[in-house]
Amino acid sequence: MGRKILLIEDDRETASYLAKGLGQEGHSVEQATNGQDGLFRATDGSFDLIVLDRMLPGLDGLSVLKALRAAQIDTPILILSALASVGDRIEGLECGSDDYLVKPFSFAELLARVNALLRRRESRIDPTDHRLTVGDLEIDPLSRTVRRAGKKLDLKPREYLLLEYFARNEGRVVTRTMLLEQVWDYHFDPGTNVIDVHVSRLRRKLDEGFEKPLLHTVRGAGYMLAA
Amino acid sequence: MPTTLRIALLAGLLALVCNFAVIGFIYYQTHDEALATVRRQVVEQNKVLSDVYRTGGKAALDDAIQDTLTYADPQSAVALLRPDGREITGNLQTVAPTIIALEEGYQNRLIRLRGQTTPREAALILHRLPSGEWIVSGRIAGEGLAIRQTLERSLLIALIVAVLLGLFCGLILAHYVGRRISDIATVANRISARDLSQRVPLSGAGDAFDQLGQQINAMLDRISALMSELTLLTDSLAHDLRSPVSRLRAAAHAAAESPDAAEQEELLGSVIRQADSLMRILSAVLEISRSEALTGRKQFNWFDVGELAAELVEMYDPLADEGGARIEYDRPSRPVPLFGHRQLLAQALSNLVENAIRYGSSGREIRVSVGPGERLIQVEVADRGPGIPAERRAEARRRFGRLDSSRSDEGAGLGLALAEAIAHLHEGQLKLEDNGPGLRTILELPVHSQQARPA
Repeated sequence: MGRKILLIEDDRETASYLAKGLGQEGHSVEQATNGQDGLFRATDGSFDLIVLDRMLPGLDGLSVLKALRAAQIDTPILILSALASVGDRIEGLECGSDDYLVKPFSFAELLARVNALLRRRESRIDPTDHRLTVGDLEIDPLSRTVRRAGKKLDLKPREYLLLEYFARNEGRVVTRTMLLEQVWDYHFDPGTNVIDVHVSRLRRKLDEGFEKPLLHTVRGAGYMLAA
Repeated sequence: MPTTLRIALLAGLLALVCNFAVIGFIYYQTHDEALATVRRQVVEQNKVLSDVYRTGGKAALDDAIQDTLTYADPQSAVALLRPDGREITGNLQTVAPTIIALEEGYQNRLIRLRGQTTPREAALILHRLPSGEWIVSGRIAGEGLAIRQTLERSLLIALIVAVLLGLFCGLILAHYVGRRISDIATVANRISARDLSQRVPLSGAGDAFDQLGQQINAMLDRISALMSELTLLTDSLAHDLRSPVSRLRAAAHAAAESPDAAEQEELLGSVIRQADSLMRILSAVLEISRSEALTGRKQFNWFDVGELAAELVEMYDPLADEGGARIEYDRPSRPVPLFGHRQLLAQALSNLVENAIRYGSSGREIRVSVGPGERLIQVEVADRGPGIPAERRAEARRRFGRLDSSRSDEGAGLGLALAEAIAHLHEGQLKLEDNGPGLRTILELPVHSQQARPA
């Protein structure tokens, strides 16, 4: 299921590398190499996602972002930036972007975020209190209860949030930074494997005693919940 | 022109202008008053004589002039002149038209009356009769003007004295100001010549110059501290980056040479890990610099520190558990509001907790607490590890100041430096204390820092 993605990036090497990678995933990628051009192409609102570099010649990324949001164009926007500080990230998000990725990043990380954003757009119409199911796993967001094969799992609040996030991104790679940002709402890079420890605890409660594991480790990228 | 002279001249000029204004005012006041009185009398006399002529004709006028000469006071001047200015009757010694202008109206002249030895200033009115003769009515300005002359002389002398005094005071002032300024300038010059140890001497008077000097000295203290920190930072950055870069290079080289695909993949994975770790070091350094440059003030908000700490404890508890340690948190019974940057403080606190887990735990307890105060909030992380000896604590705060140099992989030694930078951003400080045994790291933050007041 290919989607239309607009890539606004002035560095040709990065742009062609990303366009190639996203193309291989089945998306059709249109490219713009400066802010004005990017803004012009984005204003028709026909894209499913915009990947926007923050530092652009002429009109910079944040200005493009603000202009689009001011024009009521709500296409999801993923910002790429070499500005890594917490303040910069939050500024980017506050200006109306949906996600913020710091350069350099692995393609796996970018892809995971792109897919999550596309998915979010798709599920926007769904009421959020809908029951989530992955294989024999059942999650009820209203009562926050989780059952696997009919058996109730006893999760701590944070473990529940973690699992719900995984379930909403079923079948897609979720990276450690995505978890830290989305489940904990922290935007720094911890120097330890604190996220992995949480995931492995969740996995113990989720998969132990069941034949088929649901929570998988994706090497070099992160984790995935899939039946 | 040297500054001293310029200031002195300026002071002299100012004295001149001020005195001139005052003296001018006095001069005009007295002058005008003296003359106005005399003039009124003259106008009156002229009116009387003109009326006499109109009603009684020439003969009556002659009588009136004679009467005036006989009975009027000696200050009075009166005369009847021929059309060419020669006197018919009167008491004018001075003869028109050489002294007196033969024209209708009021004039001021120096004239001599008959029987007097010196010419004196008088107010005169000439009135032309239809027959062509002139009636002169006048009055010696007399005492009023005499006082005025004395006054004028005194005022002129006062003016000269004032200007001289002004110049003199200006010179003293200029010398004083110049000396104070040149002290500061000398220091600035030496600093330009790269001697940062210079300080402005203070007079101890606590005046504006002392304040300026103090400001400059404080600025210099900060600059030299930053300079030495910067030097240290570049040295240690270069040193710390060298080994991951050379490992990265070696792995990349080996991958390029390796014929075995599996081994190649393995090596490339290592290349990526090394690159990631380099990136982490660089972005941490960047983060510290940015915190120090006081960016992100606009992202300050009120939030509950007690809750933030609870969140982080919950987040790190499993990690500590893996290492066999336990995190104990004494959550305050009430919310602890603080106006600050929640994300950065979360990062600072997580660095402290990570440090405690990494270096201080191994099977023991880590205690986290939040001490609410009226003005200061203390967020404390205490471990039971080996601690840091007092003499090495300053070193531990520095960037790359990792005390155990054998650890090559985890942590670039930036944790405490970043926590300290974030504390400074909130106008607070990071304290390292002995936990007997172990280390206590304390973020001490003012509830509401001055500069961070919301707009």
